[in-house]
Amino acid sequence: MEPSGSMDSLGSKRSSSRQASVDSLSSTSTSRSDRSAQANPPSAMSSDSVSTSAELSPELKVRPKAQTKIPSECKEEPQLLPGEAVQDMARDVMYICPFLGALRGTVTVTNYRLFFRCTDREFVLDLPLGVVSRVEKIGGASSRGDVSYGLVCKDMRNLRFAHKQSEDALKKSVFEVLMKFAFPVSNGLPIFAFEYGQVFPENGWKVYDALAEYKRQGIPNESWRVTKANDHYELCDTYPSSLAVPVNIPDEDIRRVAAFRAKGRIPVLSWIHPESQATVTRCSQPMVGVNGKRSKEDEKYLQAIMDANAQSHKLFIFDARPSVNAAANKMKGGGYESEDAYQNAELVFLDIHNIHVMRESLRKLKEVVYPNIEEPHWLSNLESTHWLEHIKLILAGALRIADKVESGKTSVVVHCSDGWDRTAQLTSLSMLMLDGFYRTTRGFQVLLEKEWLSFGHRFQLRIGHGDKNHTDADRSPIFVQFIDCVWQMTRQFPAAFEFNENFLVTMLDHLYSGLFGTFLCNSEQQRVKEELPKRSMSLWSFINSQLEDFSNPLYVNYSNHVLFPVVSLRHLELWVGYYVRWNPRMRPQEPVHQRYKELLARRAELQKRVEELQREVTNRSASSSERAGSPTRSITPVQTFV
Amino acid sequence: MFTVKQSKPTFKCYLPPLQTDVKKNIQPPIKKLEAILLPGEIVVNEVNFVRKCIAAEKSHDDLWGKLICTNFKVSFVTHDILAKPRFQVANRLLGEHDIPLTCLDQVVTVNDAKGKKKVLGSNQKLKFNPSELILYCKDFRIVRFSFDEAGPEGAKKVCLAIAHYSCPADPQLLFGFEYIGTRYHGSPEERVNGACPKGGSQTPLFDCSSDWDREIKRTNAEEWRVCSINQGYAISPSLPEFVVVPASLADQDLKQYAGFFTDKRIPVWCWNHPNGSALIRMANITDPVQQKRLDQRICNAIIKSHPQRGEVHKSDLDKSLPSIQDIQNSLVKIRQICVIDPFEETEEKWLSSVENSQWSDYVRTFLKHSCEMVYILEGLNASVILQEEEDRDLNCVLSSLVQIMMDPHFRTLSGFQSLVQKEWVMAGHRFLDRCNHLKKNDKEESPLFLLFLDCVWQLMNQYPSAFEFTETYLAVLSDSMWIPVFSTFLFNGPKHHADTMTDFLEDKKITLGEGEALCFPPVWEWSQQLFIRDQALFNNPIYVGKGAPYVHNGTVKSFRRTKVSHKTYSSTLRGMPPALTRNGLQGTHGTLPRRNSLAAQLKSDLFQLRDVVESPSERFFRDWFSGPADPQGLLLPQLLPSHLPLWRLYFLRWVPETCIPRGGPITAYHKFSQLADEIEMLQNQLRHYKGPTPAHTPLASPTGPPSEPSRMYFKASSLYEPSSTPEFLSSSFPFTPVGNLCRPNLHGTPISKFLNGAKIWLSTETLANETI
Repeated sequence: MEPSGSMDSLGSKRSSSRQASVDSLSSTSTSRSDRSAQANPPSAMSSDSVSTSAELSPELKVRPKAQTKIPSECKEEPQLLPGEAVQDMARDVMYICPFLGALRGTVTVTNYRLFFRCTDREFVLDLPLGVVSRVEKIGGASSRGDVSYGLVCKDMRNLRFAHKQSEDALKKSVFEVLMKFAFPVSNGLPIFAFEYGQVFPENGWKVYDALAEYKRQGIPNESWRVTKANDHYELCDTYPSSLAVPVNIPDEDIRRVAAFRAKGRIPVLSWIHPESQATVTRCSQPMVGVNGKRSKEDEKYLQAIMDANAQSHKLFIFDARPSVNAAANKMKGGGYESEDAYQNAELVFLDIHNIHVMRESLRKLKEVVYPNIEEPHWLSNLESTHWLEHIKLILAGALRIADKVESGKTSVVVHCSDGWDRTAQLTSLSMLMLDGFYRTTRGFQVLLEKEWLSFGHRFQLRIGHGDKNHTDADRSPIFVQFIDCVWQMTRQFPAAFEFNENFLVTMLDHLYSGLFGTFLCNSEQQRVKEELPKRSMSLWSFINSQLEDFSNPLYVNYSNHVLFPVVSLRHLELWVGYYVRWNPRMRPQEPVHQRYKELLARRAELQKRVEELQREVTNRSASSSERAGSPTRSITPVQTFV
Repeated sequence: MFTVKQSKPTFKCYLPPLQTDVKKNIQPPIKKLEAILLPGEIVVNEVNFVRKCIAAEKSHDDLWGKLICTNFKVSFVTHDILAKPRFQVANRLLGEHDIPLTCLDQVVTVNDAKGKKKVLGSNQKLKFNPSELILYCKDFRIVRFSFDEAGPEGAKKVCLAIAHYSCPADPQLLFGFEYIGTRYHGSPEERVNGACPKGGSQTPLFDCSSDWDREIKRTNAEEWRVCSINQGYAISPSLPEFVVVPASLADQDLKQYAGFFTDKRIPVWCWNHPNGSALIRMANITDPVQQKRLDQRICNAIIKSHPQRGEVHKSDLDKSLPSIQDIQNSLVKIRQICVIDPFEETEEKWLSSVENSQWSDYVRTFLKHSCEMVYILEGLNASVILQEEEDRDLNCVLSSLVQIMMDPHFRTLSGFQSLVQKEWVMAGHRFLDRCNHLKKNDKEESPLFLLFLDCVWQLMNQYPSAFEFTETYLAVLSDSMWIPVFSTFLFNGPKHHADTMTDFLEDKKITLGEGEALCFPPVWEWSQQLFIRDQALFNNPIYVGKGAPYVHNGTVKSFRRTKVSHKTYSSTLRGMPPALTRNGLQGTHGTLPRRNSLAAQLKSDLFQLRDVVESPSERFFRDWFSGPADPQGLLLPQLLPSHLPLWRLYFLRWVPETCIPRGGPITAYHKFSQLADEIEMLQNQLRHYKGPTPAHTPLASPTGPPSEPSRMYFKASSLYEPSSTPEFLSSSFPFTPVGNLCRPNLHGTPISKFLNGAKIWLSTETLANETI
């Protein structure tokens, strides 16, 4: 989707050499390159962005050369993806860019994107409709007959268009057509992912296999088993079908526990320490209510979790919420474990706020960074959004969990209210700290598939795919916040992650784009029902088909090393490469990774030359053996370990 | 007072009798705890059974040992070994626990039981027996010693000695003079590090006309000449003996003009742009009557020296930049929040506190102003005069920043050092006063040099492959300011340097033989401080040097640098392969976006629509930023506040809470170093082969003399061993927070009120009154 995005941002200009733009590109490339598939992968991408970018700066004339090179670029229409079809087109539309001023051009709307091409100069805006949160018609009643439309986007920008009122009163504005396709769910249309016909060499739906992942962790073992109690989602319809539970709790008891936990989300194993057997388990809040209801089975169950770890006679229950909120939940039948009922358990509140607070915080952040950063009070403005403070609390919670498990060898139970937002953030971040496997590109995909997708983070509701109801209180950037936390960790440990920033940005772009099936639906059950793997492409198919673009050359396999990030505002930073990327003044910093690749190329070249010379010398010494001895001093070939 | 019994001293019986004022031989302490002394260093006072506090809360990590005050440093010697990860970056002049007296900012004594505290100055009395000594250091460390087991009188004496000796009455009492003095008195073996007066460093010091000559030639400043009217400091007491002036101005005229300038500082040349524009610095004209006439003459001369007769722009820095006091106040604030205030309490308001300190703001202001100067030189093809009342403070920062942005030579290690020499040391920056080495006048103290280093760091942070040196280098350089043995930071200018030396020789009745000179080493003689191996930490493995191969998208491209250094470092030719200079097209300014009536009408209700008519300078910057940056070309910093972060390595390196174990930018540096080391090995192999096969094409450009030892601190990992990140790496590397930042315990004591009152930096007198 990004092609679009990137284009409009001036940032896209230097896409080829600079990182941020690259980010957007590659995602772009999705759409673009898929067509031309493997034929001309990144070069096609970058070149198009190049020409685009050139126009962005007002002083630059279009270079005819670029055009001849990429003839497709001269067309008003975008290169269509397989399954994509033009729905409407309008000339003489004004795109009012907050950075460049008004640009006149042609708008094309397809079932996937909005495509704007400037007629006066080279400028392209290519926007997947999935990022549109709402479309507002502004000031339509003007005497001159001009109508203006504002597009509020989910990815931290707002776009503004204007065009003349059509003479033909019956003819719909192109933006009214756009509204239909931007909100397919509300209009009874399929999301584009179901029509997208691209074929990738790899099938990303196969990245995650729950049983294989349990097996990797050594489950089943003497303390944990995999139950079939939820095979048909009868125990809990927001949980995956296979669950790891303590071995000595029979399925009947599990059903009783499910009755005591909100939405039936019982405590199940997320991760087990390979040495100490301390575990990270997740669940929803207990249905304690105002009267302090207890469940013998639930108490026994938690005791079993504790007993499964011989190293510790304690169990930590991390309630992600602020204690006030947790207490308030008692009014609605929920609550938290009392330490009286749960012997040997210690309850800790992590003070993380709910989805509504997070949504509001990101909204404020958008105000602060888009379209421009106000210079004199940048830091206090940033502070007033509390965004970094929330990030800090989440990371701090995950750190406490990881520390308890690693250093305290103690098992932990993590929950919030329903156990699908804050809980997912906490378990997946702590697992990222604890287990190097999840820091590989594929491992990270497994982590997302497992902790987020299979355990029912409600992507459909939180993102509102194709739904025009932008005020829906269920929407919240919980996943964005999680990826931000991951990015913060990559900043502190530049060599510990196999993937790069581009990977994270691309993921967030396709969180909204609607191009892939990965983030559709709310639960595994729904995904199975919708037959997503059959009817749509996985984002991992795309990513794993061009891993080169998403890899961190500095990656060192720390394997068993546990990462303890410093959770302090002194280290946490605003992720400018994501939140501020539309600002043309935000020239991405010189990519160090690029330089590393250059050095790798240099090394390869030198190695080649040394080898050639070695061969030459060997040949020569073979022919004239009298010279043997001197330069034959065997030179150890320097190994290439990247 | 302390609970951990087993950490009591166990070495009582080995104690030597109390010694004062005894010169000792340098011996490694075997069983006795003795200070390791440099030549000329003497012990003033010492006390045993002192506990060095490692962590604020608990005492079981604390170290037991002896606290010694010498005429050079506060030294703590111990048999205990720090439990925390250690690494072998040692300063050859200082032990692990040593602090030079010149590095002390405040000496605070505390009596916990009585709830008393006093900030000690020179020659003061102390009416209570201290239970604790807290040393606030200028390099942001806070070191704390506890005397609960030490003799009360001895402890008091050491505290008073430290306070007294850290305020020398005269520059000659700074330790450096003892140190170099002994070279001519002491036995040859006592010379540490075998440093010779001027050799060692390759850095031009700009103390002779030939250095200036070379600089004129290097920059093709043909219409400029070295002028020696100030030889013997005959004209100006603060200018160097040799200055560069327009060729069209005769010595006679200059002598005549000099009287009208503050401190008789005539305008002097700093640097020439390849397009012929010059960078000039000057002091204010004191006589308003002469102002216009002089300005005119100077401008005419500068225009004459410009090959295209480019005009002259003057920038009055006093009017556009913060004052030195503003900058000092800002540093005090940032120090307060970084190291003094309790960590958790500052956490919530961290961002706004940083903003309130204005430090980042000032960094941005200086960078921004430098960018504007760059625009005039490069974009307008005009010369620039930097004007400041005395031409000795803000001008130093500005002129050096402009040159670093425009001339890649100053981004090499030796180039950078020559720049500091040229624009700071020789230009008469008052290092002695600005560092406040004599603690005489707090109003003169100002961290201009640190501010400059921070600005350089910002550039380095944005363009990591454009500098030959690393941020570790910048941090070590700034710490060197507080070691009083380097000529670089000890004087208020070249004349002050010369005069002080003359006085010193007279006072000490030292007669030098023919050809002998008594010289301080410049800080650039890094072997004084660091072993060669550790100096490798200064080398940036991803530096794209001149003529170095620069690979783009897998293909190796060489920067072509024409013989005449002309143009190669202008932004017009960034040395990029043409395919990549998308927006590097010059002069083809397209029309501004056309705007029809609709757009005009809409404009009013548009959110923050940029004014489409941009100024030429905006266009210049926009144009530059639209293309890829060439590490060997012009560099302009991104000035968005979101892009000018706090220099964490410098400001937070001692803070234990912010230290990322096995993390931080150093882990990337580690990886880069190993790769660069491998490349060096391959290059050596190739060179080795070159003999037998002369026909083979020579290497692009080996970056140094053949088969030199590796330049990298981290060596390529051995063949089959995976390279993992070493345990000792942390975000503070090569510094360590352990024992270097022990915030005082604040809970509940009257001291806490005192400290929370943010009065900690009050002057000594005020505090003394308060406590008595």
